[in-house]
Amino acid sequence: MRNSFVELHARQRAEALLDAGTGRELIGPLDNMISPQLEPQGIVPESDDGVVIMKGQINGKNVVIAAIEGAFQGGGIGEVSGAKIVSAFEQALADNKAGKTIYPIIILDTGGVRLQEANYGLLSISEIHNIVIALKKYVPVIGLVPGRVGSFGGMSITSALLSYLIGTDRARIGLNGPEVIEQEAGVREFDSSDKNLIWNTLGTKQRLATGIVDEIVDDDVVAFKQAIAAAITAHKDSHRDQKSDFYLTLLDQLDPTAPLDTVGYRKMFAAVQPETHHLAPAQASQTPGTPSRGRLWFEKLTGIQNAQSDVSTVLHAKKDGREYIAIVADEHNRFPRVRHGEVGLVEGFTVASVVNDLVAADKDKAVKTPIIMVVDVPSQAYGYKEELIGIHLSLAASAAAYARARQAGHPVVAFIPGDAVSGGFLAHGLQSNRLIALDDLGITIQAMSKASAARITQRTIAELEEATKHVPAMAYDIENYRKLGALYKLIEGVHSKDANDQAVATVQGVIQHALDSLEDAPTDLSFRYTNPIAVKSGRVATNKVRQMMAEQWPD
Amino acid sequence: MEKLHFTFKATQPITHPVHIGVVASGDLEVIMRPTTGDSELDIVTGSDGFHDVWQHVLERFFDRYPIQAKFEINDFGATPGVVNLRLTQAMEALKDAQ
Repeated sequence: MRNSFVELHARQRAEALLDAGTGRELIGPLDNMISPQLEPQGIVPESDDGVVIMKGQINGKNVVIAAIEGAFQGGGIGEVSGAKIVSAFEQALADNKAGKTIYPIIILDTGGVRLQEANYGLLSISEIHNIVIALKKYVPVIGLVPGRVGSFGGMSITSALLSYLIGTDRARIGLNGPEVIEQEAGVREFDSSDKNLIWNTLGTKQRLATGIVDEIVDDDVVAFKQAIAAAITAHKDSHRDQKSDFYLTLLDQLDPTAPLDTVGYRKMFAAVQPETHHLAPAQASQTPGTPSRGRLWFEKLTGIQNAQSDVSTVLHAKKDGREYIAIVADEHNRFPRVRHGEVGLVEGFTVASVVNDLVAADKDKAVKTPIIMVVDVPSQAYGYKEELIGIHLSLAASAAAYARARQAGHPVVAFIPGDAVSGGFLAHGLQSNRLIALDDLGITIQAMSKASAARITQRTIAELEEATKHVPAMAYDIENYRKLGALYKLIEGVHSKDANDQAVATVQGVIQHALDSLEDAPTDLSFRYTNPIAVKSGRVATNKVRQMMAEQWPD
Repeated sequence: MEKLHFTFKATQPITHPVHIGVVASGDLEVIMRPTTGDSELDIVTGSDGFHDVWQHVLERFFDRYPIQAKFEINDFGATPGVVNLRLTQAMEALKDAQ
């Protein structure tokens, strides 16, 4: 009889993979580390916050498993569950650096950000992205997508960063859930009641044929264990987050307005002959681009009037030794779902290519060029083709490029004069080690639009707004966001739509301060939970988890 | 969501803490920790208005297993049958641990 892996809960999955008697759970259900965000919103918590961390051995090799419980709140990542994964993987990184090899494994069964603590979810997931990239320099990071929830949202970006991804035919992988695409782009874009369409598009069979998952195994404990052991032994790595040339070539050949089905896409995917892509810096022109706060501030900070680029939505230029990068709106974009400044397929891969070029150019330099992201991203693109091709890969490429640049020593600062929402923010903003925002209530920072968040959490918009008032973790405005401690600086007195000379000088000054503060500073994302606001109130649970993990980690 | 608290007279000490279950839809998790004296139960339930039903289910449980434990229960809409099943499983886990 088969020994199903999919049917197991997270704790049992971790136990089933480990050699008998070797498993030891860290920060388990008896440790009282419950999410402080759920009960105040009237939601029943779970004693492990939906993530099980277990150290042990697989075929005699040391591993640490992070298993996400899909049955609890859809496997959504909140502050505590996210910090458990990050802190465990940071311990694993320290061990590997010290020559004590330990292989990290993550079992994905998740809808992504836990919307009831959305801002923490986004921060945590970006911190997971950072640690996965750091770990891959030492060991492969293996991912499993057994199925039930599958892998969605920001955690699908994580899936794209992993060295090797193993699934069953009962799993789906996508960025935006079909319900969210339907909500944002209409039922004609993606009919969330059409189960066949969903499975044919997002199911692992299609995903295996198109580079999104690496291996499909039977739903069997032993099959999973063997596949993991083989991947570890061979140090398998798909380098899925470093395929910008491949995808940019593919996208060059794509007609975004013509219909594309799963079979057509497989053919297209198989025929790609990757060509190298390098985006030249933006140039001044006579014709103004589509107005946006991102464009306004990019042009003011770089001094380039009516900046134009070969990729109309990605502007980059060097000014005073700093590299500025912006993703901007183009109302005439050939991709219909990317006309309001969203991060689409082209944008993520292009930003990755720009950042990778810079890192390569600075490879042998002692002092690395600072990168300044100008952030005005209302969201990622919501569209059928985006999901079919895998927009999470595009966002992963960008997030990985920024993370690698930072880890290589580039100071990476995000300046937020516009919106910073969801996957767009994960791709372009959250891998910075200094976040600077304007104190302007016109700025929205969040994981999902109110309409979609209300639909997914089965609340009315009024109920959602009421809930967000009392929980900064759910806030949509920059002043509440500040309370989390994530910001290096909130600039007062500068309006996002008025980049006058004095305002620009103020912003330049703050950016300089941020860069000065990064001299000899850690190249990770620790500033977000070690600053006074975070320690005192914003990230109390995160810091508690980190301390407990440090205490419980040693064998 | 509703928070409930119950106290039951109990006589049998336990030596190990146990945890069982998942806060999945229609399910619950149970934690029992050793204590002395009466058993205290703290319940967080997603289904409001079932105080009396909990009272009955727990009375039957304590009639059978008068264990001295501090209980934490997180419930996401489990039926009385499922509650009883998980409590019984927790007793089995306790037996294994001891």
